[in-house]
Amino acid sequence: MDSDGRRKFLGVCLAGTAAAAAVAAGYPVFRFLAPRSGATGLQKLVISASDLQEGEAKFFEYGGSSAVLVKTKGGEMIALSAICTHLGCIVQWVKEQQHFLCPCHGGQFATDGTVLGGPPPRPLAKIPVTVSGGNITIG
Amino acid sequence: MSLFKRLYRWVDLRVGIGEIADKELTGYLLPRNINAWYSLGSVLMVAFAIQVVTGMLLLVYYVPDAEKAFKSVNFIMNEVPFGWLIRLCHAVGSNTMIAALILHMLSTLVMGSYKSPRELNWLSGFLLFSLVQGISLTGYLAPWSQLSFWATTVATNSVSALPVAGPGMVEFLRGGKLVGPATLGRFFALHVAFLPLVIGVVIVVHIFLLKRTGISAPPFGRSDTKTPWQAERYRYQSHPGGIPFFPNYMLEDTTSICIYLAIFLGVVFFWPSMPFTPDAFVPADPFKTPAHIKPEWYFLANYQTLKIFPNELLGLTVQGAAMTFLALLPFADRSPERHPLKRPLFLSLVAGGILLWIALSVWGHLS
Amino acid sequence: MTRNLTSLLILIPLALVLASSAWSAEAPESACLQCHASLPDRLGAPVNLWQKSVHAQNGISCNSCHGGDPKDAPTAMTPAKGFLGAPKEGAIPDFCGRCHPGVLKDYLSSAHGRALGKGGPTCVTCHGNHEVLKASLTLINEKSCSRCHSFERARIIREAMQQTEAHIQGIELRLGGYRSIGVDIERLGKELFSVRNSFHSLFHEVNTARVKSESGRINAELSKLDRELQLIDEEQVRRRVMGGVAVAALLAIALLAYLLRRTFRD
Repeated sequence: MDSDGRRKFLGVCLAGTAAAAAVAAGYPVFRFLAPRSGATGLQKLVISASDLQEGEAKFFEYGGSSAVLVKTKGGEMIALSAICTHLGCIVQWVKEQQHFLCPCHGGQFATDGTVLGGPPPRPLAKIPVTVSGGNITIG
Repeated sequence: MSLFKRLYRWVDLRVGIGEIADKELTGYLLPRNINAWYSLGSVLMVAFAIQVVTGMLLLVYYVPDAEKAFKSVNFIMNEVPFGWLIRLCHAVGSNTMIAALILHMLSTLVMGSYKSPRELNWLSGFLLFSLVQGISLTGYLAPWSQLSFWATTVATNSVSALPVAGPGMVEFLRGGKLVGPATLGRFFALHVAFLPLVIGVVIVVHIFLLKRTGISAPPFGRSDTKTPWQAERYRYQSHPGGIPFFPNYMLEDTTSICIYLAIFLGVVFFWPSMPFTPDAFVPADPFKTPAHIKPEWYFLANYQTLKIFPNELLGLTVQGAAMTFLALLPFADRSPERHPLKRPLFLSLVAGGILLWIALSVWGHLS
Repeated sequence: MTRNLTSLLILIPLALVLASSAWSAEAPESACLQCHASLPDRLGAPVNLWQKSVHAQNGISCNSCHGGDPKDAPTAMTPAKGFLGAPKEGAIPDFCGRCHPGVLKDYLSSAHGRALGKGGPTCVTCHGNHEVLKASLTLINEKSCSRCHSFERARIIREAMQQTEAHIQGIELRLGGYRSIGVDIERLGKELFSVRNSFHSLFHEVNTARVKSESGRINAELSKLDRELQLIDEEQVRRRVMGGVAVAALLAIALLAYLLRRTFRD
């Protein structure tokens, strides 16, 4: 092989190995920083039915995010994502009016999650709830 | 024209990167007889970069709170994927960086590169050496283990031997009478913010000085500079007919860097207990001094020196004098001769110094 | 030149700060140790003996057993500060049993314990007092046992315990190795500690049949620890393989760069 060809060959080998090494070095760093699987929070939550009065709401963490459980005046149990579908603020419970109000831009939601007014494009996401005995199971 | 070439041309027309490359890479000529020791500077920059990157990564999970620090380090070592690797790289890297730094200084000593007109290069390098020792010492406290806690207690305590201001200085250094949460706060700030910034600035100054004065030619083989520099006016030491930095010497740098990294990762993977003692994995307990607390290997000579002098102040003074002499060496040693074999007295002093340092370290380790 | 040097004097404080990273020794001492270390014979000897003991290693100091106040020399040994002094022979098992209640119970129900006060052995007969070491099977030896009776029965018990003891020691060694590289072995260490305790307390009943029947259960628990250690072993092997590949790749790059550099030598 002439010296030019040899040089080119070695150059390609060097660049290739170095690039491969750099990618390999990036992998541990990626894994180090990646969110940990299984760390997404509770997927199932049980609370006592006596903890919640009619017409009141209870906020809690569910699946690594914020959620709310509301007991309507009619005694119905509804669990919703507490994240406003407009820009992601956490909605507040307005007991007097029995609806949710987002403090950021005034979005309003009914107890079943539907949009009553303001900018939100979608209703609040529902979370399954079952009531058995004295316990409320969410998820 | 390929996309890459068009992109290059687009940038070059606006920024003139081709001109920089001509001047700083292919047009930056180094002495023909340059040797591998000259690549230790590049090795050290890579070593420092590794410390910065792994340090930033550790900051993601480390909690600088006396209650939580140990737990967070344990979490990094055992729960975070590859946390052990990042932490070991940071801990081992500080050791291998200091080893490379010592070699860099020794090669400068033996080849006489510290001599006039490069006094400032030596001084800034010496300053870097002290700062790196400082950043190692402050980082040592971060894991809040028995080793961290008591090593820091003992290290800060020796300042109390200074006359008059000594005890006050110790208290100021620790942020309290004893090492405690206050010490962790200030050492952490020094370790992750102040010292890295200062080291970064001094590295820039060090390289600026190197670029302005020009690189020294090794004292071996033929010399490419006929007339030595006279202290009359500024002159850049050029090496006409020398080898270009790119690609020739950059490849030599690459070889050295990869060998350094191979040794470094060799320690990380095959000697993971190197930076630790069993006390490094016991949470700090201010009421229980472990037996045989020893400093890191690069402080062992200082440690032993303090122990052999009957009086701590005397020990500190001797060390301070030795360090000051070393820092001011270019001003004491003014002969222009740089070949080590033509400086037998100097060479034997260096060899004697190294032997003394090794002997003190071994003695400190065994005692 | 002079001005040059004066401006460099700022480096001297720097060098001193550097030297300040140097080291000196410092050890807090209790009043007990300070006084007793300089006393002769019976009153001074315990200091040195204790320093070698497993108690010293674990921070169990004089006052932990003898009471009193190590922080205040004048009243250190007054009953008001809870000073107890040395127990009479019959009181030794209760003295040690304050911290080792399980062993006390087993001991009291054994032939050894029933002979307490009638020439039978107390804790210190076999374990010593101030220089108490981490208990091991070497405590059961001909010289020690045959002070009171023939070694035969003790030998049978010792042999029955030997294999399990070796198993425990092996696991302990492996745990120590992992600990020194930062692997979190706290839970495994505690489990081994508890197995080891229930195993060692077995001896105090001096009942060969029980040693044999219990050894099976203890070995099953040890095997569980073995399996967990196996997982750590495998992880360590994976790490070393990964490291070997990384080091080899770096050496390959170094070699390529070296060869490429040589093509430029003219």
